[in-house]
Amino acid sequence: MTRSVWKGPFVDGYILKKAEKTRASGRNEVIKIWSRRSTILPHFVGLTFGVHNGQKHIPVSVSEDMVGHKFGEFAPTRTFPGHGGDKKAVKK
Amino acid sequence: MIDPNRLILLGEIGAAHGIRGEVSIRTFTDNPADIAAYGPLSDKTGKRLFTIAGLRVTPKAVIARFKGVEDRTAAERLRNIGLYVARSSLPELEPGTYYHEDLAGLTAVDARGAEVGCVLGVVNYGAGDLVEIVRPQERETLLLPFTDAAVPAIDLAAGRVTVIVPTFVVAEDPDTADDKVEPIKE
Repeated sequence: MTRSVWKGPFVDGYILKKAEKTRASGRNEVIKIWSRRSTILPHFVGLTFGVHNGQKHIPVSVSEDMVGHKFGEFAPTRTFPGHGGDKKAVKK
Repeated sequence: MIDPNRLILLGEIGAAHGIRGEVSIRTFTDNPADIAAYGPLSDKTGKRLFTIAGLRVTPKAVIARFKGVEDRTAAERLRNIGLYVARSSLPELEPGTYYHEDLAGLTAVDARGAEVGCVLGVVNYGAGDLVEIVRPQERETLLLPFTDAAVPAIDLAAGRVTVIVPTFVVAEDPDTADDKVEPIKE
């Protein structure tokens, strides 16, 4: 069942405060968070969060496409390393 | 420096499929069908060559038929063989795009040239590519976004990548932070 619209998106309040503080400082900082349940808001676009996956913090650079998703979606708790093959990485 | 003769693992032969010599292949390529795109494949030694005569992609695996493999018995003998191509077989990429295999093994240095660690590989969990760096005397690997800010320079010829490790700040829940108060000593 989906969340009622009247409630608005859920975000842990302290993340909002920390995001505002980091944005105001203008420094290139990674905000370490444990709140995987929080929704990504438009305020967070451009910031980098280190989302805990149970072992370590995975850097998540928030882009516009990620708004509305939860932080936890971008920090999987189970990973398979795999092989490089012909996979390519594009520098942004 | 990129060694053009270095073998890149593109897939691994799995179980035999049917009675006509077909095998399933576990591919490590971006697009599963690309396993046949770079010419003949070889085994780990580079001596035994495999030419794909037919290939089809199914939801579960890639099913291929190799030249010279006509029956199931011959196909069963191929199980668990890795399929490699030489690095020189892969096409050149646009500037700013790198093969994961080229980045793995590079030495990571900071802006002053001091060694940070060694690049283990590149991972992508849906929020962009991340460079994974193994640091000596550190148990955890370091993950950095593959951006100009975090990875300003890559010198493949010198085998070196310059990284800027960002500052980490902690956003802590004030409610759970209370739990971390040191216990009272008796």
